[in-house]
Amino acid sequence: MFQRVIQSGWLTLVLCAIYCLVMAPFASGFATFENAGNVLVAMLPLLIVASGQTIVLIAAGIDLSVTSVIALTSIAGAAMITTDGGPLAGTALGTPVAVAIMLLVGSGVGLANGFCVAWLKMPPFIVTLTSMMLFSGLAVWWTQSKSIYHLPSSFLFLGKNMWAATMVTGLVVIGIHWLLTRTLIGVRLRAVGHNAQTARVSGVNVRGTVLIAYVLCGVSAALASILITSQLETGSPVQWQNNLLDVVGATVIGGTSLYGGRGSVCWTASGVLLLALIDNSLNLLNLSHFTIMMSKGAVILLAALLDTLRFRTNGASVI
Amino acid sequence: MRPKAIAIRSLNQAPFALFVVVFVVFGCMSNRFLDVQNLSNILIQSSSLAVAAIGMTFVLLTAGVDLSVGSVMFVAVAVSGKLIFNGYPLALGIFAGMFVGLLVGGLNGVLVVRLKVTAFIATLAMLFIARGFGLWLTNTRAMNMPDSVTLLGSSHLLRIPTPVLVMLAVALLSHFFLVGTAWGRQIYAIGFDRETARKAGVPVGGLLMLSYVICGLCAALSGLIALTQTGAVSPTFGNQREFAAIAAAVLGGTSLFGGRGSVLPGTLLGAILFQTVENGLVILNADPYLYPIIVSMTIFLAVLLDTTRNQLVSRLSRRTIRAK
Amino acid sequence: MKPWTLGLNDIGKSYFGVQVLKGISLQLASGRTLGLVGENGAGKSTLMNILGGNTPADVGSMTINEQPYRPSNPRDAEDLGIAFIHQELNLFSNLSIAENLFLTSFPCKLGWIDRQTMIARSVSFLKQVGLNLSPKLRVENLSAGERQLVEIAKALRQDAKLIILDEPTTSLSSRESDKLFELLGILKSRGIAMIYISHVLRDVQRVCDEVAVLRDGSLIGSGPIYEFGESRLVSMMVGRDLDNQFPPRKTSIGPDKQLEAMHLSSPGAIYDISFDLHVGEVLGIAGLMGSGRTELARILFGLDSAASGTLKFSGREITNLSTSQRIVQGMAMLTESRREDGLCMPASIDDNIGLVVVPKYASKRMGVVRQKPLSLAIKTIRDAVRLTSSADGQKCVQTLSGGNQQKVVLAKWLLNSPKLLILDEPTRGIDVGAKFEVYRLIGELAESGAAILVISSEIEELIGICDRILVMSRGEIKDELTHGEFDRERILRSAMHTELVQEDVL
Repeated sequence: MFQRVIQSGWLTLVLCAIYCLVMAPFASGFATFENAGNVLVAMLPLLIVASGQTIVLIAAGIDLSVTSVIALTSIAGAAMITTDGGPLAGTALGTPVAVAIMLLVGSGVGLANGFCVAWLKMPPFIVTLTSMMLFSGLAVWWTQSKSIYHLPSSFLFLGKNMWAATMVTGLVVIGIHWLLTRTLIGVRLRAVGHNAQTARVSGVNVRGTVLIAYVLCGVSAALASILITSQLETGSPVQWQNNLLDVVGATVIGGTSLYGGRGSVCWTASGVLLLALIDNSLNLLNLSHFTIMMSKGAVILLAALLDTLRFRTNGASVI
Repeated sequence: MRPKAIAIRSLNQAPFALFVVVFVVFGCMSNRFLDVQNLSNILIQSSSLAVAAIGMTFVLLTAGVDLSVGSVMFVAVAVSGKLIFNGYPLALGIFAGMFVGLLVGGLNGVLVVRLKVTAFIATLAMLFIARGFGLWLTNTRAMNMPDSVTLLGSSHLLRIPTPVLVMLAVALLSHFFLVGTAWGRQIYAIGFDRETARKAGVPVGGLLMLSYVICGLCAALSGLIALTQTGAVSPTFGNQREFAAIAAAVLGGTSLFGGRGSVLPGTLLGAILFQTVENGLVILNADPYLYPIIVSMTIFLAVLLDTTRNQLVSRLSRRTIRAK
Repeated sequence: MKPWTLGLNDIGKSYFGVQVLKGISLQLASGRTLGLVGENGAGKSTLMNILGGNTPADVGSMTINEQPYRPSNPRDAEDLGIAFIHQELNLFSNLSIAENLFLTSFPCKLGWIDRQTMIARSVSFLKQVGLNLSPKLRVENLSAGERQLVEIAKALRQDAKLIILDEPTTSLSSRESDKLFELLGILKSRGIAMIYISHVLRDVQRVCDEVAVLRDGSLIGSGPIYEFGESRLVSMMVGRDLDNQFPPRKTSIGPDKQLEAMHLSSPGAIYDISFDLHVGEVLGIAGLMGSGRTELARILFGLDSAASGTLKFSGREITNLSTSQRIVQGMAMLTESRREDGLCMPASIDDNIGLVVVPKYASKRMGVVRQKPLSLAIKTIRDAVRLTSSADGQKCVQTLSGGNQQKVVLAKWLLNSPKLLILDEPTRGIDVGAKFEVYRLIGELAESGAAILVISSEIEELIGICDRILVMSRGEIKDELTHGEFDRERILRSAMHTELVQEDVL
């Protein structure tokens, strides 16, 4: 019974419901339609990044550099089109080119990570930890730690219009879900995550598959950055610096395994919802940011614990 | 077969080569760099990092990792700083700080050993929890320490600066523990293969626990050394120092894959090398925003060397037909 | 040496309600060697794990020297003189030989390791097992045979009264095995009791004084070894007479060459390998461990690259194609180790079976998998290989027995209808029943026109199923035998020939 419960993909959704019921009487304004909208808007970018992270985790990797991708693409895009002297400011093609550049930067970082993991065989967590440091360092150095304001309204449209943002997020997430469940790439990602050697002998291009995983993760981080930058109307070199735990935490608490091979975007979505609810309610309770920091640390710990429990009870003999 | 063995040998010597290169390059670029004064400064500046990196070496040898080192440094000095700030004796403050290190290290150990959480995730969570706790303790404000603290940092014992003496003591103790005691050798065995070690009757749980506790203690001590040098507890104290510690250990030849590495000369050399680069950048008046970039590139280089060596070793130990 | 006795009385054990051991009673005294045989899953390893303190028994008792013996962990067993040498050796190659010998009981002075004593004692233990190496040498520099001897030295260091050897010869050359058997004889004369577990019945008969046969968790028979002939042992293990260990088949070799290897070389692995493989032919490769057989197979399949030489498949050159391209051409390979590179252990049976063939069921442009026809094909092949738990394709492969796991690997490749199937040790670690099934499937595939290349350490197996046998030694092909001239001794001689010559020269 216990095993069935913790292995269920629905567990996290149930946890969300319980959390709402428990929190509703304490946090005033928590159980309102308006707040539900707030939660939704807040979870959109996280949902995109975490879906990308799910791809990498399924391939038995991890990408800790996503927050630096968000920061770097945020300033790269904003620097192009800011009316404070961006080279493309005022031109009609400004916004599309900026978006293209952001996606390009995201996939570039993904390529670099993927290359180091697949070709140089370096451990994923240390590679992406290093690139996290490197690229956020690059972002800070480039802007000398200053934020970029005054973005054109065409770029801000996505952030202003909740429905458009939801649509875009939905499309991205459904796309990734489709990729993972219905296509060859999904099958190969899973095989590589379970056992890369077996996958190779069975004709899977392991390096290519790993590379694709990191590139897709980088691109989804760039997509999230577009959303975040337009929501905040700011390009910042420290954008989302403190949200790394949310990304890994949401994915793992949803049920995607750190051991590879096992994961789903649907699970991740429920993990994102849980984290968004926690964030939102703690803010409503007026807790300080270090309390939120600590509770998030606790959440990821809980997620990792659940993952170990799932792994251990998954029919595998422990001997 | 031969060239590979030579390649491994030379990769093992890479830290020494890097050391020489770094000194030559900075020496050529600035004549102040090779001053006796500056060299002794480098040693003094290295002491805090070296102690943290030595603790990290223990964990890395078991094929684990501790990402909470920077936060532990912060919490430890937050606790001891607060006590000293409020007029309690210096010794009590230091003791309390060390106790915090012991506690967090023990907590990491419990998570990894008892609850079987992957080391990097457990300690990543601890990174946030500990820093959050430290920020709460200090109310996110900086605290300036009384002069007694900084005097301790600039004091000398046996004509050697106290921080350097502490560093050497920690290094020697750790070295002899790892090389000369049963537990030390068993830690290497655990890093090679945890399950096999358990079957062989090695007290795996206890030694893992010990490694994380030592790492926590070293992190706290490292924080306290840094406190005596800076004289203030700021909200960013110790931020990202875990990366520097990993870099120092890996630069010194300790493997991220476990079971390989040394404190002497390895990690100590790695830490001094790392600090030398930072010192050189300061002397050259480099843009401070460049530091993280250069630091991350250094780590990348170290890990790349480690990975290459690891692959060569595993390729060498692969079965070959002995037809020559 | 004082006499030493071990008694197992009515040992029983169940896992999750399934009884894996029933009422096992055995006696063993010092200086005697007991052979323990049985199919995989017969309960041998469970019994030894109970004896070695890895798991407790549910019912029954054990005694050592008439005193009750209840180990709660491997350390207890070790303290009472029971040393368990596992099939995968438990040495730490990053440590020295001496450190491996004394890992759990270093000689100490004031808490520090007393290196001098440790080295001196190590030298004497190494001498006892006939190893002339410095104890300061790191284990990573030793060969498989030398490591096995270090394991035995470790048992001696623990002052073992009983040594359990689990398949000790799997990774040894036959010369190394001979040396091992010689050593076991010396240990026996020193009064050490041994339990010898092996699938190689000839070795069991050579080494043991007594034998015990397990089947389905019960003790089927035990007694002095001379009462049990090889065929009697086999029939006891499987519970029926196996006159025909190999299914009958008609050879159907076609005129066309499926595979042509010309002067393939890769320094350190294989040297100037040339051979042809015809359509419908079953070609065996015999050779000792480390003769280059596996290396050759990996090069044929594109997992490693050859330094020189060419390879043709269906008349077209494929020397530079990648593994995945070769699979598309119709190659398939069952590897030596199921766990390492044969299966995705945590994944389901169906996912494993579908892995190779899934591109065929995917749309060209977007790679969308057509799930229904794929599942149907998987279900058909699952029935064809007679997977015992075929009802549930969602089951995790990890939970299957070795034989069924091997059938899953075979199903994975058969589903792709290969033109060439390379099998590296296809029956290692699987029970007699499953072996028969594997032979049957190989025969059927050859009859349907595929070429088959079988690598095996069991010469009988090759003689039983092949049309032609190549013998490899030291990376070269030393001999070729066609169906009429199969001769066990000639194969063995060719496999060992050069080794002896080389040894004389040195």
